[in-house]
Amino acid sequence: MTDHITTVARKEFEDAGRSKLLWALTGLLVGLVIVGYVAIWYTVDDVTAAEVLGFIALPLQTIIPIAALIVGYMAVVGERRSGSIKLLLGLPPNRTDVVFGKLLGRMAVVATAVALAFVVALVLGAVLFGSVPFVDWLAFGAISILFGVSFAGLAVGVSAGVSTRGKSMAIVVGLYMLVLALWELVTAGPYYLIYGEGPPVEAETWYLFVDQFNPITTYTTLVGNVVEGEVFPFMFQYGLEDFEASGMTPAERYAGDAPFYLQDWFGLVVLLCWLVVPVAIGYYRFTKTDL
Amino acid sequence: MAAIETTGLTKTYGELTAVDDLDLTIEDGEVFGFLGPNGAGKSTTINMLLDFARPTSGSATVLGYDAQDDADEISPRVGVLPEGFDVYPRLSGRRHLEFAIETKAATDDPEAILERVGLSAEDAARPAGDYSKGMRQRLATGMALVDDPDLLIMDEPSSGLDPHGIREMQELVRAEADRGTTVFFSSHILEHVEAVCDRIGVLNEGRLVAVDTIDGLRESIGGGATMELVLADAADGHLETARGVAGVTDVAAAGQTLECSIADPAAKATIVTALDDAGATIRDLQIDDVSLESLFTTLTNGGGEIEGQSADETANPAAAKSEAAE
Repeated sequence: MTDHITTVARKEFEDAGRSKLLWALTGLLVGLVIVGYVAIWYTVDDVTAAEVLGFIALPLQTIIPIAALIVGYMAVVGERRSGSIKLLLGLPPNRTDVVFGKLLGRMAVVATAVALAFVVALVLGAVLFGSVPFVDWLAFGAISILFGVSFAGLAVGVSAGVSTRGKSMAIVVGLYMLVLALWELVTAGPYYLIYGEGPPVEAETWYLFVDQFNPITTYTTLVGNVVEGEVFPFMFQYGLEDFEASGMTPAERYAGDAPFYLQDWFGLVVLLCWLVVPVAIGYYRFTKTDL
Repeated sequence: MAAIETTGLTKTYGELTAVDDLDLTIEDGEVFGFLGPNGAGKSTTINMLLDFARPTSGSATVLGYDAQDDADEISPRVGVLPEGFDVYPRLSGRRHLEFAIETKAATDDPEAILERVGLSAEDAARPAGDYSKGMRQRLATGMALVDDPDLLIMDEPSSGLDPHGIREMQELVRAEADRGTTVFFSSHILEHVEAVCDRIGVLNEGRLVAVDTIDGLRESIGGGATMELVLADAADGHLETARGVAGVTDVAAAGQTLECSIADPAAKATIVTALDDAGATIRDLQIDDVSLESLFTTLTNGGGEIEGQSADETANPAAAKSEAAE
């Protein structure tokens, strides 16, 4: 069975490798890094390669999820609508192989694209700024790949759980809007209703716990730990939450020693949740459905 | 052992019953044609055999394995040409075959399969997205043939093929049957089925309305035929003569043409001699065997409209085939 998963994954990867869209997305990521580096090199004096590395987290937190969602949202449902899934399931691979093969294949695609962008960043850092912040780079790259892979998993999970392309796109776009633009409303909103005021810096623990499940702030928190300088999450704000709190990590907002589930490393668990939960739901629905 | 066996197999979609209490047994080694008009439930049945869809009630076994519980045992032993499938547009035809070979852990040579299904090496190198419907059908057939399956399940294999391609498909089915492969294939066009099948089953509105050999079905319609005679003078005057011949069930006259429905084949010659004896001059003569087509039409409850259509199909096979291509 595992054999089939890797066979399907390799086919997926090869298929995606011929996709113009994918190359365009990779080009976008790489292009962004190049433009960022050259622009900073041109305009800012006295900056180290390690600091520049921190700067590119700002655009990456927006672009990586979009690229990963685009790579994944059609994975299963696209084949279902075109009918190629019948060709695939007529062969020995079963539905489990299809979902997890596709998941692996698409995650590999996103990981490759992100890795390529980071290789370019490393080279440009050395050429333009004269140093190779290897440890920062490696940790930042690994977190970024996990970030991208989580969104790819989310999208593949959604694509397995729905019956039409439109639904898949609607859910994926909806979830992205939720984490980017509506998060404060759905977390700080209830807080306001319960306590009669928006969450202060030292908000209730449950709120800090729930609020950190935003994958974008999780990403910036994690990245902030490994690169030089601050990394701010770029999100829509409505003023419900204390403005000062927006750049702080849950652990910083907790009075005293933060419990494990509010510490920065817990962000890795959060990102894994965004990968595992949608895949589990999508997989369950896919195994039960009529094609 | 039965290659396929369904017991009370039923599938409903809300109010609609797509397959209704289907009991069907396909023996090992036979070529079985699954016939029925579009929407009769053929694909739904096949989808349940392949675990693409789950039965509402009843069960099915394929090669002795339960179609739902043991689906993983079935797929390596079965070659499938699904209905309404698509290829991976960016991957080459050859890559498709290699993928099939890989998943079946087979040792087939892609070249040999390409040749069997009539795809050239140049075709195989192109992305399958550039293929015509017929070429996709050939490619998928090739994928189904990988690893010499015990059972071939083909859903509308002739769709998208030109008459030449359909003949090749029929030859291929026969060749597979000669190798001992059981073949189960569906079609809504009888002539594609009757040429190669040992037995056919006719499905209509989810129900099995007939299962028999081709000969058995012919017998059940009595080897009937219609004979059309063009006479030198008005046909009216010879009505009674023709009616008097044993084995003639009905006679109609129109102008100089006499149309006789015949139940006993021997009656054909008798009509000719009887008319000759009665002084009629026969200018022309045409015999149409009542085809299985009309039986099919009757079984599937066609009525006048479909009957007319089937007559068209007989008269114009090209039109029938282009319809099949859709």
